[in-house]
Amino acid sequence: MKTTFDQTIIDLIPQGKSYRATVGDQTVDVEIIRAKDGQLDLLIDGERVTAYVSSDGAKRWVTVNGQTLMLTKASGAKRRGSGHDQGSALVAPMPGLVRSVNVVEEETIMKGQTLMVLEAMKMEIRIQAPRDGLVKKLLVKQGQTVEREQVLIEIE
Amino acid sequence: MSMFKKILIANRGEIAIRIMRACKELDIKTVAVYSDADKNSLHVQQADEAMHIGAASPKESYLNVDKLIQAAHASKADAIHPGYGFLSENASFTAAVASAQLAFIGPSADSIRAMGDKAESKIAMKKAGVPTVPGYEGLESETDFKKAADEIEYPVLVKASAGGGGKGMRVVNNESELSEAIESARREALNSFGDERLLIEKYLADAHHIEFQVFGDQHRHIVHLFERECSVQRRHQKIIEETPSPLLTPALRKEMGEAAVKAAKAVNYYNAGTIEFIVDPDTMQYYFLEMNTRLQVEHPVTELTTGLDLVQWQIRVAAGEHFPYTQEQLTQRGHAIECRVYAEDPANGFLPSTGKLLQYIEPKGPGIRVDSGFTAGSDVTHFYDPLLAKLIVNAENRDAAIQKMQAALKDFIVHGVVTNIDFMQSVLTHEDFTNGRVTTRWVEKTLDSGSLLPPTQKRASALHIITAALADLTIVNPKSSIENRNEPDPYSPWKQINGFRN
Repeated sequence: MKTTFDQTIIDLIPQGKSYRATVGDQTVDVEIIRAKDGQLDLLIDGERVTAYVSSDGAKRWVTVNGQTLMLTKASGAKRRGSGHDQGSALVAPMPGLVRSVNVVEEETIMKGQTLMVLEAMKMEIRIQAPRDGLVKKLLVKQGQTVEREQVLIEIE
Repeated sequence: MSMFKKILIANRGEIAIRIMRACKELDIKTVAVYSDADKNSLHVQQADEAMHIGAASPKESYLNVDKLIQAAHASKADAIHPGYGFLSENASFTAAVASAQLAFIGPSADSIRAMGDKAESKIAMKKAGVPTVPGYEGLESETDFKKAADEIEYPVLVKASAGGGGKGMRVVNNESELSEAIESARREALNSFGDERLLIEKYLADAHHIEFQVFGDQHRHIVHLFERECSVQRRHQKIIEETPSPLLTPALRKEMGEAAVKAAKAVNYYNAGTIEFIVDPDTMQYYFLEMNTRLQVEHPVTELTTGLDLVQWQIRVAAGEHFPYTQEQLTQRGHAIECRVYAEDPANGFLPSTGKLLQYIEPKGPGIRVDSGFTAGSDVTHFYDPLLAKLIVNAENRDAAIQKMQAALKDFIVHGVVTNIDFMQSVLTHEDFTNGRVTTRWVEKTLDSGSLLPPTQKRASALHIITAALADLTIVNPKSSIENRNEPDPYSPWKQINGFRN
């Protein structure tokens, strides 16, 4: 059975009590010794490994050998369509409050110019123009609360 | 004065819980306060009683003096512990507490006022003969700042006179950055402290941040409790602290400790306080930076090496007790390190990460202490500081403490928000850290040079992928899929996992 996490395909084939797992050009035998409350005790090619997994929608938080990663599981064959052209949309790098909006729509902007200031956890984050261009659309207002990854400004 | 019967803790998170612990040990009842966002927080659950004080925004709750004093009266508390941050260094709060006939667990309003203003305190320290960083106070026009910067030479630091915690502070590398730095530092200062005055001083880029804990009672007895090395910082905020400092010699330790006591005496200090110095490792010159007139985040490393419970002593001296130890009786034993576990993403400029904690497992073992304010299921919101927990270890010497910390970090599991745990692991293994050569700009420089494991390039290992896929197999098991249809999270049917092994 094939699954994709973060563009990496893994194939798991049941073999009696264990699984044969293939990732890229690596193939290992995996046996689950115990699985409880998000903790997995595994035997991977005979070696004991304790791992922790949590899931939230398509996200998987995985800790192995003290290293934690967040993986995203691909949902089916088709990739999720993006509503905005990433090249022209500036998104919030963190959740917070829009402290000030320093530009108006149709305004010509220069690379590095501060377009907006966000505030979260008492920190100030400046949203700067990645290149020269024009403000096409402002999607948020001063005083508004924004989520991480929310589109703030479209530029062209 | 007799011991307090009930203390209101005007704070939240791990420090509120730490203070409640000390109260419980001293047989004192505790009152928690909470905002809308903290209704279900751990500090509310652990208090003897809890009072709601307002909306999530700190101004409406944890910074609201009137509501806090009302809550203290309503709950019949006889003292207030401010913790750190929020109102802990606000002289008018301290004064308001006193005029409401309540005891304040901390220094006097006068000491806070004298040290709270970075400009005024610098002037006072110069007068007391404590070395300070070259610079100017009380400048207003941009022209004056420019002139001062030219004289003390770039890089310079502009910082809020009323500031602290890295807020309202900007490093200026050359003249072209000065104007915007002044403007944004002023704005942040006004926003955070309601005061836009700035001072300017020489920025010592490759310096160690070494601070001395001081402790005094209300009977004019004051000592220092040795140093804490806090040079591992990002955005001027500490991430890893330790004691003893690998830089100090016994002679310099003694000299700086005496200077710290002199600084504290100059403002008639009592209760717990910290004198921050920066030390130039090339010249071994030290300069007074500022005094924090409160308990520090990193106080546990001092507790573990001196054997004193600082929070208990804060309460006892606030109730009028004598602090019984002389300077000669105090010693440092072994080595302690603290790692601050933050909900922040080192690969995304250390920006805060918010969300629900899906898994939260703290490490345990001999010599391991965790001060935390969260548990599995807790929400990490954007309203407050992203500190999840403090992991503190102590061992017989520095090498053993580093080893213990590395193992403990590996056992610290946090899912649901991105943390700096992996990042701190790579700091601890870096040779600059093990050789004690880290200065305050080291994190920034080392990340840029790429010699610190670059978190952005961290790739999912085959093991991570295999684990994720195995965990997912449980949900395609036809036996469990029906039962799990109504579960809030269909991806966590761990109790069903036995079904797929056959």
